[in-house]
Amino acid sequence: MEKPLTLTDKNFEEEVLKSSIPVLVDFWASWCPPCKMMEVILTELLFQLNGSIRVAKINVDQNQTSAACFNISGVPTIILFDEGREIKRLIGAHSKLQLVDMINEEMIKIKA
Amino acid sequence: MTKFHNSDCTCWNCPAINLAGKVDFRACGQSALKFEKKQDETGDSHIMAECKRRPELGLFDPTSITFEECPEWRETQYGYLLKNMRIMILGMDGYLGWTLALWLGKLGCHVSGIDNFSRRSWVAERGSHTIVPISDMTERLHAAKEVLGLNINFRKINILDRELLKEFIEEVKPEAIVHYGECPSAPYSMIDFEHAAYVQKNNVIGTLGLLFTMHEVVPEASLIKLGTMGEYGTPLTGRPIFEGMFPANAVLKWNNREWSMGGELTPRDPVSFYHCSKAQDTFNVYEACKYWWLRSYDVMQGVIYGVYTDHLAADPRLRTRYDIDEAFGTVINRYVAQAVIGFPLTLYGKGEQIRGFIGLEDAMQCITRLIAKPPEPGQYDVVNQMSGYCSMRKLAETVKKIGEKDFGLKIEIQRVENPRVEADRHPFEPIFNKLPDEFGFVQSDMLEKEIHRMFALLTRPEIKKRIEEKEHVILPKTWWSGEKKEVERLELIKNNNHAVKKNGKAVNIN
Repeated sequence: MEKPLTLTDKNFEEEVLKSSIPVLVDFWASWCPPCKMMEVILTELLFQLNGSIRVAKINVDQNQTSAACFNISGVPTIILFDEGREIKRLIGAHSKLQLVDMINEEMIKIKA
Repeated sequence: MTKFHNSDCTCWNCPAINLAGKVDFRACGQSALKFEKKQDETGDSHIMAECKRRPELGLFDPTSITFEECPEWRETQYGYLLKNMRIMILGMDGYLGWTLALWLGKLGCHVSGIDNFSRRSWVAERGSHTIVPISDMTERLHAAKEVLGLNINFRKINILDRELLKEFIEEVKPEAIVHYGECPSAPYSMIDFEHAAYVQKNNVIGTLGLLFTMHEVVPEASLIKLGTMGEYGTPLTGRPIFEGMFPANAVLKWNNREWSMGGELTPRDPVSFYHCSKAQDTFNVYEACKYWWLRSYDVMQGVIYGVYTDHLAADPRLRTRYDIDEAFGTVINRYVAQAVIGFPLTLYGKGEQIRGFIGLEDAMQCITRLIAKPPEPGQYDVVNQMSGYCSMRKLAETVKKIGEKDFGLKIEIQRVENPRVEADRHPFEPIFNKLPDEFGFVQSDMLEKEIHRMFALLTRPEIKKRIEEKEHVILPKTWWSGEKKEVERLELIKNNNHAVKKNGKAVNIN
């Protein structure tokens, strides 16, 4: 099964900020049990979104520059980016349904 | 090249790595300010790896080398294992500890271990003995060398003696620690205040001391900590028994609002003062991982059974213990012993209690696979280690069927009063997917095969005689209410339907 894209400080700009489609980024840490649980959800989401949005994750300990750049003060933090801008931020674990609802809502705004 | 469950792990998981550079032990109260401050001070905010085995590599990106690529990790049938991996077993003289020592030794690991031989004393205190005779540690180590060519580094240490434990850990510098060094008996903890306090002190304080020692000496080693499915109890809501934590799709709804429970520890409902000690351990280990970036798998083991691994069977001096008394005998082991001497197999109450179980060889495989894929820094995770589940009644019927069919025994089943406080009938839906899905565990479908092996060993005249000598310790006398009396028979079950179902995979014969 396809997995979410793994981001680093080095490829964040290219893969997220310069992406031609919206990108959902999960800022996570290995010591964070809710983050581990979100991994499964993101993989399911990737399948469900079927390419309309990119799904990616970035480890905040291994990539502290990006974490600082986006003021990550708790994990998991999930940010939806579009055209290089943050358009929505969720903090804490979320169910797949909650994420899908958020994405649908934001996509309507983007298209409008 | 074979793909293993740990092929893609990197130095980030490896216990032979010192993390260097900007390691930030933030636990859960991390702050953006701290991130910014670090950046300002150093201009560089990356964590680097330094290999203790290959210091000539200097500092490098910890995610740049996989286990598959690293020459220090070599291929085994259970995934990549560090060459000569240093593994310390706490409680090495016990049923599981000794079995694992031989198992890991034969996989090329450098095995060390401690024990203070308490298990031998506890069983003797209850008036019993291991029905499979075992050698003393000197003889065990001698036989391990002579028969299997293993050098096992053993030290007689009480886990509560933190000074000696620390000294040994400093000397060995284990890369993984398997913690079996606890008193594993619910009835023993329910005898009286002294026993309850003893069990809780030995287990909780012993583990707490170990956590502090690991923090001080080997924070990068993985801790494989033995818990028990009994920590969860049997929730009467009928909700699944998750693997320690709720999945993210588990949602709490209240007052027209909802929250994902993802990653929160599931409620524990321990079923004895012993199980309380295990639940307390869970919280202590969880916190230590959070505070200090220790790494641990908490293994919620189902009821264990069996006598066989190739190594245990290689020489009589290498056998592991086999207890049948009410405090230390596990249920399937006890049933087989009862069957051999014509003692009706004992169900407590209605006998419909459902438990998860796992065979000895499968348990060894699971622990090896966990060692092979060490948790990440700060990672606390839980696995439910079982290969199937069924009611006590069905287990007794399985033992009866095999004993009668293959060994010509006449076996009866009886119901006795239940000395425990527990639901006789209850929902039970355990989740046990992580070991097969994430660690490549393939169960050996061994229940009937292993019961057969147990009968073959226990029907030997010299062992049967040892069971007969201890017939009087089989029935429970320890009541959760505090009473001390032998349980009374409620029913001798006449007609059993051998309705034990079996499928190719999980033996869910409930």
